[in-house]
Amino acid sequence: MRLLHSFVPSLLLSGACIVSAASSWSFEDASISVSGKGSGAGAKDKLSPDTPLAKPVSLGATDTLKILLTTTDGKTAKRPHQAFLTLTDPTSGLHESFVFSVKESGKAKVDLSHKDLPHQFLSSSKPIPASIVIGSFGSSAPYKAKVFDLNIALDPNTPLAVPEKPERYAAQEEIHHIFRAEPRSPPKIISLVFAVAVLGALPVLFGVWATLGANVNHFGKAFGNAPISHALFYGSIVAMEGIFFLYYTSWKLFQVLPAAAVVGLVAFISGSRALSEVQERRLAGLR
Amino acid sequence: MRWLFSFLALVLLGVAQAKSFSGSRLLVILEEQSEKEKYSALLGDLNDRGYQTTVESPKADKLSLFKHGERAYDHVILLPGKSKGLGPALTANQFLDFMKSEGNVIVALSSSNTIPSSVQSLLLELDIHTPTDKGALVVDHFNYDSVSAADKHDVLLLPFPNPPRRDVRNFFAGEGVLAAPRTVGQVLGNNSPLLAPILRAPSTAYSYSPKEEADIVEDPFATGEQLTIVSSLQSHNSARFTVIGSAEMLQNEWFLADAKLNGKAVKTANREFAKQITEWTFKETGVLKVGKLLHYQNEGQNKKLNTSTAIPENNPTIYRIKEDVAFQVEISEYKSDHLVPFFPASDDTIQLEFSMLSPFHRLNLSPIGQTANSTIFGVSFKTPDQHGIFNFRVNYRRPFLTNIDEKRQVTVRHFAHDEWPRSWQINGAWPWIGGIWVTVGGFVAFVAVWLYSAPTEKSTKKTQ
Repeated sequence: MRLLHSFVPSLLLSGACIVSAASSWSFEDASISVSGKGSGAGAKDKLSPDTPLAKPVSLGATDTLKILLTTTDGKTAKRPHQAFLTLTDPTSGLHESFVFSVKESGKAKVDLSHKDLPHQFLSSSKPIPASIVIGSFGSSAPYKAKVFDLNIALDPNTPLAVPEKPERYAAQEEIHHIFRAEPRSPPKIISLVFAVAVLGALPVLFGVWATLGANVNHFGKAFGNAPISHALFYGSIVAMEGIFFLYYTSWKLFQVLPAAAVVGLVAFISGSRALSEVQERRLAGLR
Repeated sequence: MRWLFSFLALVLLGVAQAKSFSGSRLLVILEEQSEKEKYSALLGDLNDRGYQTTVESPKADKLSLFKHGERAYDHVILLPGKSKGLGPALTANQFLDFMKSEGNVIVALSSSNTIPSSVQSLLLELDIHTPTDKGALVVDHFNYDSVSAADKHDVLLLPFPNPPRRDVRNFFAGEGVLAAPRTVGQVLGNNSPLLAPILRAPSTAYSYSPKEEADIVEDPFATGEQLTIVSSLQSHNSARFTVIGSAEMLQNEWFLADAKLNGKAVKTANREFAKQITEWTFKETGVLKVGKLLHYQNEGQNKKLNTSTAIPENNPTIYRIKEDVAFQVEISEYKSDHLVPFFPASDDTIQLEFSMLSPFHRLNLSPIGQTANSTIFGVSFKTPDQHGIFNFRVNYRRPFLTNIDEKRQVTVRHFAHDEWPRSWQINGAWPWIGGIWVTVGGFVAFVAVWLYSAPTEKSTKKTQ
């Protein structure tokens, strides 16, 4: 039964093939019009199945695009099973088909406005090629050809609601996050100039002291009176600075503290002797 | 003694091992045992690849996907049958549980049979949509087989699929033409990244219901490339699920059939495609395995410590901020029966994230070496200027490849007090350091002057 069922149509078909082998689907009497809301019928053009429309059709936000045509099989008007207006997004390759409503007589109609279009088409900057696809069962050759380009004119006042892109697994953007930029120093030459200027202040200071009459002429006298205490006192002061220098460069705090304590004690004891010697000189009118 | 044991183990392995990475127990659910003949080439191919095939009817008493709470099979092929229900052993939940325990499923649909309700709800659960009308099928008036479907145009002839994106490896490439007879088209949900179409319908195809839309299609279920003929899903645990819209694609009849596409005689290559689909779904291809993962300090005294590949992972647990760190990971790909070095598709890269809550660094890993069965991917970078608990994370998810998500936690600490750059290394500080030593020098000189200065003429006069 099943075999017969499939056999009969193919028999019929092979009969039909002989008659209409060369027939193919197409359309005729096609017109395209864009009508605005309230403004009535706008531009109207004739569509040809062989050559696409020379200039693109523009579709505004409130406009409706309407295509009327008659589908034909060979020369006779006939209703096909498939009559689509297919838009192809040139950037993403997205296809979207709009179905013609076709009457028994082959008269077909399709309306298109912004709300029918997926957002990819609305955000497309290039003209969108629109093709008509007509096909049906049987042996007649189907028809598919580009008939016009569609330009989407957006209303600049209403922003386009583009939904968030759905997640797809792919390599993501690289991230190199830094909280604070590295601290920066001025050019070395500038630091050097100022460092030299600062160091130059020391000879200037000595020079000023010299003009005021500062000297170390009593050095011999002081060492003659109290050699050990002066040597220890002045030595301990220099040593303390040396300890500070070592602390700055390499020593840890607990290396510094005992050394500073020892040097401090030496300075305290020798200092009292050395300073008594200085007092003696002052009382002798030698200061 | 030991060699004998290992020899025995090897022999046992050799007997039991299928080419699949995950196991060899295959359950084929087929209602009419008489239809087994139609799929004999497919089942023969699977047996040749080492699968232990059990063919069961959904009505069989003892049929269950689980035994003692564990998977009883590693893979399932569900072929269409006449009955509307599949019974209590094959509910949508059973299939989902099966996938949750990493079982792989192929579901074949047929437009001449109704889709069982459990399969329908399973597909809906996975966001794969099929037409609700019984008998709905895909036709294409442009790419049909004019030998077997001269009138009905429901046997589609298609080339092998192109890769869906440039950064996705194509596991389903081939020469020849695929026949998809009487297909139930599917539409994939847009929100799930787990879904991936394997074979799309041509741009002029559409799905219609022969009963209700015999004269003209008014409201098609889907049109063009939005219809998929074979679609796939890989879950987070890398279990694989494939829907084949046309069970007839897998039948002997179409494995090497003579067909005619637009007047040109062609041979169908469905056997090759069926092999590719079963290989992929049953984890013979596209399975990634992570080997040794290394990270090490790439500066100072510990530079390149623990980098030997011979010893097991022995990575440091602590790093300092702003420190040079190197990372490398071995990744292999399973190919039929052995591991080979993995290379991502040309536009694709594996990425390393160094993250605390969110990634601070996301870096492309580049292949820096190769072992016998893995590629070593590596990158060097500077740890961020923020202390905390960080992860080295390789989260590699791509369509058709099993997921990799490897994490290694490390602490990133502050600078210790003696690790900061010394002040003399900062040239902006030079005038200030100079100032301090000028003061020190001045003080020492002042003490000397104060202690040892002799009175001058002027000053003696002044005091008197």
